[in-house]
Amino acid sequence: MWRLNKVRHKAGRLGGSLEEFKLKKREHEKALRQARRDRQLVSKRLLLNEDEDQPEVNMDTASGEQDVVTLFHTLQHSGPEREAHLKALSKALHDPTAQLTFIKQENSMHLLVGLLTGSNASCRLQAVRCLHELSHSSHANVAPACLPATPYLLTYLSGQSTKFTELCLYTLGNLCPESDAVKEKLLAQGIIPALASCIENQRHNLAVVEAVGFTLSQLLQAKDAAAKIIPLVLASSLPSHLLSVLTPDPKFGLAPAIECAWCLHYLTCSMEDNRVLLAQGALLKCSCLLVSLGAAVAEGNKEDGMELLICPLLRCMGNLLSSCPVENLSTEVGDIHVVVALCALLQAYLQSQPALARESAWVLNNLTAHSSALCSALLTLNLVPGLIQLLPFSQGINTMILRVLANIAHKKKEFCVQLAHLGLLSALYATLKMADQEMVTLSMDVLFMLVVSGPQVAEEFVKQGGLLLIEAIQYNSEGEIRRRATYLLEHHLVSYSSYCSVNTSAQFVFPFLTRTNSALNKD
Amino acid sequence: MLQPELARLLAGGQVLLKSCDEDCPSGDTHELRQREADEGNPFNYTPQLIHLHKDHQLFEDGDIHRHMYLQDLYISEADDKTTLSVSEFACHISGCSAVFSTLEEYEHHYNSLHRHVCCSCRRSLPSARLLDIHIQEWHDSLFNILAQRQDMYQCLVEGCGQKFRTSKQRKDHLIRLHKYPPDFRFDKTKKDRGTRETKRQLQHKDAAMEVVDDVCESEGVCEVMCDVLSDQPERGESMETHVSRDDEAARMAESASAEEHAGLSAAAHSAGNTGTEPPKPRYSYRLVFKEVCCKPLDVFRLFLAQYCCTQRGHVVPFIRCF
Repeated sequence: MWRLNKVRHKAGRLGGSLEEFKLKKREHEKALRQARRDRQLVSKRLLLNEDEDQPEVNMDTASGEQDVVTLFHTLQHSGPEREAHLKALSKALHDPTAQLTFIKQENSMHLLVGLLTGSNASCRLQAVRCLHELSHSSHANVAPACLPATPYLLTYLSGQSTKFTELCLYTLGNLCPESDAVKEKLLAQGIIPALASCIENQRHNLAVVEAVGFTLSQLLQAKDAAAKIIPLVLASSLPSHLLSVLTPDPKFGLAPAIECAWCLHYLTCSMEDNRVLLAQGALLKCSCLLVSLGAAVAEGNKEDGMELLICPLLRCMGNLLSSCPVENLSTEVGDIHVVVALCALLQAYLQSQPALARESAWVLNNLTAHSSALCSALLTLNLVPGLIQLLPFSQGINTMILRVLANIAHKKKEFCVQLAHLGLLSALYATLKMADQEMVTLSMDVLFMLVVSGPQVAEEFVKQGGLLLIEAIQYNSEGEIRRRATYLLEHHLVSYSSYCSVNTSAQFVFPFLTRTNSALNKD
Repeated sequence: MLQPELARLLAGGQVLLKSCDEDCPSGDTHELRQREADEGNPFNYTPQLIHLHKDHQLFEDGDIHRHMYLQDLYISEADDKTTLSVSEFACHISGCSAVFSTLEEYEHHYNSLHRHVCCSCRRSLPSARLLDIHIQEWHDSLFNILAQRQDMYQCLVEGCGQKFRTSKQRKDHLIRLHKYPPDFRFDKTKKDRGTRETKRQLQHKDAAMEVVDDVCESEGVCEVMCDVLSDQPERGESMETHVSRDDEAARMAESASAEEHAGLSAAAHSAGNTGTEPPKPRYSYRLVFKEVCCKPLDVFRLFLAQYCCTQRGHVVPFIRCF
């Protein structure tokens, strides 16, 4: 089980400054981003013993290697000290060089598998620990060396020993991303049914549940998961178990819920059609959870790591909504306060995790796209001014928020009038001048909807100097935007120009135009 | 909305979402959109459900955060600095690529360089009044004719009201009475233009209040305008020929079906009369639009500039043409 505070305390004790630590993290983060771009983003977990805080390498490499070889030779002969030697071996195998040395020893894996499946329970535990260390290696040759052990690891998943099962699971989880061949082998050996029955039988044991979640998430992240793995998972009992774990246990913490939520995210984003998950109430579950998480956040109870759970829940909800037929929306979404929760999350995470704010806005878009009731809720619950205040923020936040507002405007003319009164019209004066062309296009679209909603809005717009603004847009570098500006002026604003202040000599022009327009039977 | 308000709402108990009659993909603006669509309406916003796949860009930050956690490198938000950024503003006038961090900077740029621009010579003037005067004195042949017989050169100082027979007289007046410098930038005579322009261009590259022939070198005057300008003189010159060709069409100006040349020709007809009083336009705004394929407002402005007011604001557009 992972405790989030551990890392920070580690840093302090190591003697290095927190700044150095942060620098190291930044570099690591850059590497992860590049890996993601290459579609190679993979992580492994190392389950540490309770009695050790970190894999400290006390010995230098050379002696480490020597130890491994010595230990290996010792272990080849049975004896009462075997368990102790195994334990020493598992510690020695922290070191990457030692790992390489070990697997190069002839029959080393055979020995470990033998000990793993032997009659001595303590030796089994230490043997799996050794395998776990090896599985964590990023070296191309080391982890695959563990493959002979997998059928046994899978068999042991139905066992009852917590620590042992956890180690088996994390070892399997580390092996999953190795290669397609490994995945195929694991699938053939029945990893999915094994995981399903494990989570079912160990439902009460949250440490094991977390480990199952992690292992499954490793499988589901595969590039071709949609073709082979996901259908098998959806056909099993795993989805319903994942959903049941989503509500975090207050004592145990967020970790199991986090793993299961990420599994669900990988399931929902890979499928265009999420009927199976929708039928199991996945959307409703995510929605309810987000309401309670949003409430906690709004009250100021932002736990460390909460965003690790909120993020996949948002994604599940967003993608499930995109497959949910609009007539089922009310049953699937449940409480309209989910829009309140999303706004709370938007505001709470805007500074610290702008990406989370952006994802919340995306879910709001999917909620409001085809639902008049939810659009109305945003207005009646007075959430719109808060959204308008977010329009200055870039990197996808303002474009998504503007879409939400456009969705509201698109539903009814009365909504447009309300939006204008709440300050959207004034905000457009700024958004129409933003550097992002998508903002300008969306702003034009919203302006159009507001202006055609009724004479009051159009008049107000013209009174505030809107004509000049639109005329400038007629010289925009984008043809599509120019066309829109012209159309807006031509069809919808000219008859309001008499509302602007003119001097006497111009007055005869505009009234004339208004009369002419009506003579031509224009609106 | 403040968080406490939201917290209160969320604590208030569940309110179930009820399905509405209006919950259908097309919404109740269907009819309106139908009508609009028929008329070549370019606005086509439709709400869209957005599905994001696993590797989508929007998911990058969240994925990184997840993997940092898996690798025991979790960064608590208290330690991390924000990556939130604010939108920049940009001048979208075709040909101008200026970018600004605040709206005020944008407005200043726009008002200084794009607001009062002469269509004919692309000069940017600092105010609507000076632009009017510029157009009158530089690009109005009628002005030249009238100036032979009466005092037409207005004093540049607002409120002074005096007029002079020649621009030199005006200049003397400005220097003598209003203490203007002899080389006031916005009182160049036409013959100054050719000799001094290149020098000025070299000196004032950044501000570029005076624009010369090559529009692209100056800041803030659009290429689109160039297209407009290359059209406009032609139209101006051929106005009279339009009159003779499309007289009949002009009479049809009032009918709803009149198209294309009618508007302009009616307008041209008015322009052809060089009487002292501005004739009332007998065209329709809508028809005038049809004449100019994508800049409908320009021809309209043409008449405003010539015959109407010097009023700034939304009545008189920011770019005047002759």
